[in-house]
Amino acid sequence: MIKKKCIAMLLAGGKGSRLNSLTKEIAKPAVPFGGKYRIIDFALSNCTNSGIDTVGVLTQYQPLVLNSYIGIGSTWDLDRKDGGVTVLPPYSASSEVKWYTGTASAVYQNLNYIEQHNPEHVLILSGDHIYKMNYEQMLDYHIDKKSDGTISVIEVPWDEANRFGIMNTDKELAVTDFAEKPEVPQNNLASMGIYIFKWEVLKEYLFMDAKNTESSHDFGKDIIPMLLHDQKKLFAYPFKGYWKDVGTVKSLWEANMDLLDDNCDLDLFDYEWRIYSVNPNQKPQYISPEAEVNESLLNEGCTIEGIVHKSVLFQGVTVKKGAMVKESVIMPDAVIGENVFIERAIVPSHIRIPDNTVIKADKNSEEIVLVTEEIIASK
Amino acid sequence: MNKKLLGVIDATTYYDDLKDLTTHRSLAALPFAGRYRLIDFVLSSMVNSTIHSVAIFPKYQYRSLMDHLGSGKNWGLDRKRDGLFFFPSPNLDTPSAGIGSFSHFAANLDYLYKSTQEYAIIANCYTIFNMDFQPVLDRHIEMGCDITEICHNGQSLDMYLVKTSLLIELIETRHQTGYTCMKDVVNGIVPFTLCTYEYLGLAYKVDSITAYYQTSMNILHPTVLENLFISSQPIFTKVKDEPPTQYQKEAVIKNAMVANGCIINGVVENSIISRGVKIGKGTIIRNSIIMQKCQIGDNCVIDSAILDKDVRVESGTFMNGSKEKPLVIRKGTVQGALMNS
Repeated sequence: MIKKKCIAMLLAGGKGSRLNSLTKEIAKPAVPFGGKYRIIDFALSNCTNSGIDTVGVLTQYQPLVLNSYIGIGSTWDLDRKDGGVTVLPPYSASSEVKWYTGTASAVYQNLNYIEQHNPEHVLILSGDHIYKMNYEQMLDYHIDKKSDGTISVIEVPWDEANRFGIMNTDKELAVTDFAEKPEVPQNNLASMGIYIFKWEVLKEYLFMDAKNTESSHDFGKDIIPMLLHDQKKLFAYPFKGYWKDVGTVKSLWEANMDLLDDNCDLDLFDYEWRIYSVNPNQKPQYISPEAEVNESLLNEGCTIEGIVHKSVLFQGVTVKKGAMVKESVIMPDAVIGENVFIERAIVPSHIRIPDNTVIKADKNSEEIVLVTEEIIASK
Repeated sequence: MNKKLLGVIDATTYYDDLKDLTTHRSLAALPFAGRYRLIDFVLSSMVNSTIHSVAIFPKYQYRSLMDHLGSGKNWGLDRKRDGLFFFPSPNLDTPSAGIGSFSHFAANLDYLYKSTQEYAIIANCYTIFNMDFQPVLDRHIEMGCDITEICHNGQSLDMYLVKTSLLIELIETRHQTGYTCMKDVVNGIVPFTLCTYEYLGLAYKVDSITAYYQTSMNILHPTVLENLFISSQPIFTKVKDEPPTQYQKEAVIKNAMVANGCIINGVVENSIISRGVKIGKGTIIRNSIIMQKCQIGDNCVIDSAILDKDVRVESGTFMNGSKEKPLVIRKGTVQGALMNS
């Protein structure tokens, strides 16, 4: 079989527990984002736009929605005769069911899938981040540097560097040291959880890691330190542009609000780098004579009779008369009743907010309200 | 007994009054309601009526229609058995008969011979409606009809239900009978039981610019909208990967239908805005239909106009038609402030 230059393994098993009720029934990569997308659309669209046509998606936690969403991958033009997208759930081996215990073990358990494609390089991605990135450029860099492993990094503010996995490098960007959440950071280049490895090298270390019972089987915590210890050639690949981990309710809300900024680095209207998403078949949005809509992002199927200001509304959302939606994210098919006031909140899919309800964060609070049935019942 | 239906859509119709919008496309592919084409309504009605085999007979300028329909995937018609069939007219010179031209069908009789469906619906491509055809079939069988003509407000909708075997017979004997199309048959003296079925839902025929404009404005009424777009009977169309629409700081929107991928910073009233339209600051758009990917600059005023696809309007341009005679701007043209001063 012809060797594939590079295939991608997309880790989409994340539970995303800090997103609370949003991930009660769906995996984090399936959480809605930006009026029409799900978080995983960004990584999958980046793959197809970067010319990577073979993607294994590793699912584990609440996979039903995610699996049916990915389907055969035609949304991202990844329904290919040779390769394409393959959903890889944990499976039962002859003796026991092997759950994915860490990022590295998830890849290790799918060695057969990778071997079947016989690639020179493997790109490891996470389905949890919002960004647009050309992986082909990173691959060129990786090949150019004759690197064994290349880690994509982004500059983070120095005072936040202690929240990330920090790469210390020399002038040539060769990685000298890796520090997970360092108390005193010596650098501000944070790992984005995106790696390209030479498959031959990675394979060897995955085997070693699998045998190590002490290991947490994680790329950042185990594989990278082992490679560094053995003085393998690791390079940092500096990424410039918008990148956001939407792991918390606050950061998910912020990333949605970022889209409303005309100068946002994340341009959804760039036809050269489209973000693909499963298109629900909905009628165009209808804005009634009484409505007011500005500084907002609205998807098809919305019916607006109230006021919408600085908000992101997904498909099929209804905002009834006299209602006011401010600085909020309203997920698919939610209904905002008459004369409702809602500010700085996330309303999950299919929630109905009864008429005259007021939902807003406490004054002076930085927090964002994640609306739940319990909150509605308490009003 | 196989009571299944097959669908036949006659997409050969051409109306001279609509020529400004149909020089580049067949009438069936005329954009409507911001994200649809006229044919979507009849085709979706058929699919929602559990019709799994649809034959489309196009004639003029069918490139855009083929591009729109593709494999039929968006309508669930990309099947191994049955699905979507496309039969372009072999002879462009023959004058068009009425809906369901027998000479056109005759060239593709094999399709009808091979079909297993016992009944056929023959429909035009330019009616805006959302109809379930199954009750028509039930009544057709119950009343022992040979041909059922579907009517709306007492007027024919140019849609007919017949047994497939009778349709084949009518086509094969067309030279002896002199009937050129279904309309001839129902208006002639024939040994068949003719029935009419009065359709009580909404139906609009788009056969002129005024009808196109009026029908478009009608869908801004919430009741019309609810009757046309029913969640259990969705109108399918070719999906595009447009981002959601962005309303900017200066946007003021009243009574409008807006598709995805637009960036709006002006005033929009009583209008239909299609996918990917840009509307600049200070611009006012009223009573108009703006088609896909039009780019409208700042401080323009557009009233009672139909802008076909890809029209570019330079900043400061004023243009208006009237509700009786909307201004039609042809596809891909550039409209400048100096041109009509």
